[in-house]
Amino acid sequence: MKVQALIKPNTYFDSVSLMSLSTKANQIEGVEQAIIAMGTEMNKEVMKNVGLLTPEIEEAKTSDLIIVVKAETDELCEEAFPKIEELFKKKNTSKGKSEVKYSTISSAAQSVPESNLAIIAVNGAYAAREARKALENDLHVMMFSDNVSVEDEIALKTLAHEKGLLMMGPDCGTAIIGNTALCFANAVRKGNIGIVAASGTGSQEVSVRIHEFGGGITQLIGTGGRDLKEAVGGIMMLDGIQALEEDEATKVIVLVSKPPAPSVEEKVLAKIKTCKKPVVVWFIGGDEEKITAAGGHFAKMSKEAALKAVVLAGADESKLNKRALNIPLIEEVRTKLTPEQKYIRGLFSGGTLCDEAMHAAMEKFDNVYSNIARDPEYRLKDRYTSQEHTFIDFGDDEYTQGKPHPMIDPSTRLDRFMQEAKDPSVGVIVMDFVIGYGAHEDPVGAFLPAMIEAKQLAEAEGRHLEIIGYVLGTELDPQGLEDQVNKLLAAGVTHASSSQNAGLLAREFVVKGE
Amino acid sequence: MSKINELFKGKPHVINVGIESFKEDLASQGAEVIHLEWTPPGRGNPELIAALDKLEDAAVIEKIEEANKLAVERIINSQPVLIGFDQAINCVPGMTKTTILHAGPPITWDKMNGPMKGAVTGAIVFEGLAKDVEEAAELAASGAITFSPCHEHNCVGSMAGVTSASMFMHIVENKTYGNIAYTNLSEQLSKILRMGANDQSVIDRLIWMRDVFGPMLRDAMKLHPTGIDLRLMLAQALHMGDECHNRNVAGTTLLIQALTPYLIQTDFTTEQKKEVFDFVASSDYFSGPTWMAMAKCALDSAHGIENSTVVTTMARNGVEFGIRVSGMPGNTWFTGPAQQVIGPMFAGYKPEDSGLDIGDSAITETYGIGGFAMAAAPAIVALVGGTVEEAIGYSTKMKEITTDENPNVTIPLLDFMGVPTGIDVRKVISTGIMPIINTAIAHKDPGIGMIGAGIVNPPVEAFEKAMLALAENIH
Amino acid sequence: MKVTISGDVDFIRRINNSNFSGVVHSTFNRTFNIQCSGDGELFTIACRMVDNAPNTLIIDSDDLSSWGIEVNDRVFVKNNTLYIENKLAILVEKARIWASAIPAYPCNIDTLSRNLKTIKEYIDAHGKEGGIKKKPTVQNSFEAELARMLELRTSLLWSELLKNHKSQALKHAVSLVGLGPGLTPSGDDFLVGLFTAINMIDSPFYDWRPFCEAVTKKARHLTNDISYTTLEKAAMGKVRESIINLVNSLIADNEEDLILSLNKVFNIGSSSGTDIALGLVCGLEANIIAGGKV
Repeated sequence: MKVQALIKPNTYFDSVSLMSLSTKANQIEGVEQAIIAMGTEMNKEVMKNVGLLTPEIEEAKTSDLIIVVKAETDELCEEAFPKIEELFKKKNTSKGKSEVKYSTISSAAQSVPESNLAIIAVNGAYAAREARKALENDLHVMMFSDNVSVEDEIALKTLAHEKGLLMMGPDCGTAIIGNTALCFANAVRKGNIGIVAASGTGSQEVSVRIHEFGGGITQLIGTGGRDLKEAVGGIMMLDGIQALEEDEATKVIVLVSKPPAPSVEEKVLAKIKTCKKPVVVWFIGGDEEKITAAGGHFAKMSKEAALKAVVLAGADESKLNKRALNIPLIEEVRTKLTPEQKYIRGLFSGGTLCDEAMHAAMEKFDNVYSNIARDPEYRLKDRYTSQEHTFIDFGDDEYTQGKPHPMIDPSTRLDRFMQEAKDPSVGVIVMDFVIGYGAHEDPVGAFLPAMIEAKQLAEAEGRHLEIIGYVLGTELDPQGLEDQVNKLLAAGVTHASSSQNAGLLAREFVVKGE
Repeated sequence: MSKINELFKGKPHVINVGIESFKEDLASQGAEVIHLEWTPPGRGNPELIAALDKLEDAAVIEKIEEANKLAVERIINSQPVLIGFDQAINCVPGMTKTTILHAGPPITWDKMNGPMKGAVTGAIVFEGLAKDVEEAAELAASGAITFSPCHEHNCVGSMAGVTSASMFMHIVENKTYGNIAYTNLSEQLSKILRMGANDQSVIDRLIWMRDVFGPMLRDAMKLHPTGIDLRLMLAQALHMGDECHNRNVAGTTLLIQALTPYLIQTDFTTEQKKEVFDFVASSDYFSGPTWMAMAKCALDSAHGIENSTVVTTMARNGVEFGIRVSGMPGNTWFTGPAQQVIGPMFAGYKPEDSGLDIGDSAITETYGIGGFAMAAAPAIVALVGGTVEEAIGYSTKMKEITTDENPNVTIPLLDFMGVPTGIDVRKVISTGIMPIINTAIAHKDPGIGMIGAGIVNPPVEAFEKAMLALAENIH
Repeated sequence: MKVTISGDVDFIRRINNSNFSGVVHSTFNRTFNIQCSGDGELFTIACRMVDNAPNTLIIDSDDLSSWGIEVNDRVFVKNNTLYIENKLAILVEKARIWASAIPAYPCNIDTLSRNLKTIKEYIDAHGKEGGIKKKPTVQNSFEAELARMLELRTSLLWSELLKNHKSQALKHAVSLVGLGPGLTPSGDDFLVGLFTAINMIDSPFYDWRPFCEAVTKKARHLTNDISYTTLEKAAMGKVRESIINLVNSLIADNEEDLILSLNKVFNIGSSSGTDIALGLVCGLEANIIAGGKV
């Protein structure tokens, strides 16, 4: 059991309100016991007697209001406080008009006819039904839920296609519509580049790089990871390209995905061929020749895709800071590493970021293992143990079971980080930190103590531990890019300026004999 | 321009289902967003979801919508008029000297709860079929008495709903569709037969009601040239702060005001007339049964419409809560266990003293008043233990599970919104929102009577069974 | 501009006589408090549903929350009118003057004894639990411990009262100050009731008034300003109107009035009213027992 306290200085509530707050606070899920009381010496004594006294409480004055929460874990305690504060607010604003509540998509859509988009983030077993309701009510859909059957996905996308609606997802976590970030997306400039993406973090990365190059986004349409599989047939990507082609504000289109199934790739390439607008294609590990033959602009990596897009959209390439790799730094790190420190360990919260770094490594090494390796031979044998060069996507189902996504909950990755940091065969650990809407409020901060500790530990053992950190985000994001980067630098972490550079730096640090 | 390109033009207006933090992120970017109070449909039961899906097939849904539209039209267009009073034996279909009608779905003597048994034995003594309640209990158990639900005889009965041959009934005629509904008279005070009390004072009052009160009402209504338009009066009562189930102050005043010119013309003595007026004045509940008969009269006209998923009856016998659905004609009941009523108790009583939910009075909620019209009666928010806003919330929430609003019966506080009408089984199952019922609490033991009032929800099982049956029946 | 319906004599005198000024100390829906800039004493402005009390003005308003009054708003007097910034002006001219006056202890205690029995039973049945009156079931360990400490300390205080041990009683009384979660902790409320009984002129415990002052002196930093002010006033025999009415009913022979005034006291705070009533009962019973010995 954990106990945490919050002190609200000089706060007076009448006793009746206090009682009702206290009752409601005790009903909050996960809360074992919640106490709201004035900070008198005697009340502190009561708390001391029952083991609830914390240092903060000891400091409280008689005019302060003490809120104590006892729960299974510190996280549960922390989660409870905002909810309790919410209760306080409710009391204060109860004079205002009560907000109308709706229980079904149909009733909400009918009562508020301006509604035009539904975000569906419920258990996969119910998600298809809700999405269907939304489409029937002429709402575009972004479906964050996963575990939806392929049959349902096809049915929903077909219905959406017939009705001329977007059906983003299932398993679509990122979109930007009308300059509004939906679910997991970054705050980027408005511009003239449209993105259609089957990959969430991939599209986040491209949008952020475009922003950094001074460009901007019209729309970012997510399709869900399975859209380009044979069975689904790329319905959403084809409709997305079509919509962006018809969108006056969009000058350049960027496609982001893993390589599509062959039959789908054909359809997409045919679409590119007839498209009147330039199309930049970043299919991670995709085939340059086919894409170029179809009139597309091939990009091998994320930054390259963004660069091509902004140049096609009218930027002067010679004036852009392309953030080339820091060669002297590479030399320096190489000399610090011992011959035993051979391997890269990539620990990622973003799947495409993991994929991109892994592909960079695969160009130079053939002993690269991952939980998302396409070749079964290079799949990790045991998800808890790394093999030679290892890249782990912690967003993959097998690592998230029963837990939130690593972009929200860093705990699983944090444990693994400490494990890798102790491995003397590790030369470099590369990690991504995703900020923006939906993401953890301070992802670097959550790793900061561990990174400092790991560095010290390695030093004590006489080896240099190289950590590369990449922060995916912009200065406009709620968490603030600069603050996150500064934290990395403070911990002695090498900051990579892009996903692409993070992958390349990691590889170059441990490549031998060039 | 395609719908997608229209979407691109401005900030999206989002309906957010599931993770609430997405709502906050959207709101912080200045987008309009509604967060749904969402729960898994059918409590996540795959069988129920399959049933819902089946009824959502395009061809099926069209039939249902059409049938429901018709059902609700009939409820709304019904014009119930009080045309008279008479003894049950003279007017109620199927009534015999040894028949006792009761509230709720069918139930046998051995299964009845305390208050209902108390009322039954009291009625047997009142009818002179037994000399005391002990003998009455034996008679009831012997099989010599025919028990039948009020609802199956075009009747409704408040609380235990016990109705016997010589009791006086309201006669309410549906001027639009021609059907007739009945209910007996209010006994007013708390220690009464319908609450399970059956001592001599209760029997004496029933006798007086049979010999003086009932006949005077009967004679008065014979003099009334048109009958009393109850729908119009109901609408007035709602505008005066009643919800017409647990608050009947205004309705009773209106009703006695309409009856008085005729009551005073009857051949009874001034003394007897004073007794009648004093009796009516002794409790606000006088018009309570009247509204039940009014609601019953309207809802019966909407029962038995093929493919309709609209609820036409909600009633409790103290053991089970039963509903009937328009598309399942006749006396097809779907039941679940009767629930505990939650609310303030009279001094000296505790929640464990209360009997389970009982009575046909939930017919008022089925019509769209009572708990559904709570926003009309802010004075009784104490029942919900909350604020006026919460009370208003109940009325707007009921819109989520109903088919339409009744433009004839409106709530001033909600910009004259019509009361939510036509509870749809499908909507109840898919939203998980249960109808809200205002009701009285009877003591669990016979002979004591009313000990409080409060609110209650039906058991979800009744609606789940109805849902599955509808999915079987509608193709 | 709002008119004062009635007000405490001391407060009105200060407004009329001097340059009363201060800042808003705390706000609630039905009352707000002003901290006087001179001696830091608290004064209260209350809406008309609230009863008269020491340092309090009752003004002609149903709800004070609509005036937008905030903590630290400046308060000053001009032309016998009390101003809260430019948000609210309170006219005191026509106010009915109220002064707290606890009745004298009766010579014949038969009625009092009978009435005490009645209200004890009534408190038992209808008093609000969670303070001095124990809840039958507790929600958590904090409540359990709080209940234990309140019970223990009030009973210790009771036994020292009966033994006439002032120094020991002082220790236990002080240990009650600030005990309880609410704005006026249950321990404080109990003491307010007890002080009321002690302050009845001619009562056997009347000479214990210095004890009340001693408790108050030690209480200054053991509870919040609002509760402290109430306690300090009670020690001087100044308590709110509903408590005085209850004491009056306790020495009169009218059971209906008695229950009515007890219910008015119950309406104070959440469990505060019940806690005050129990403190009063404790003090009066001590008086009766001590009186018997004399």
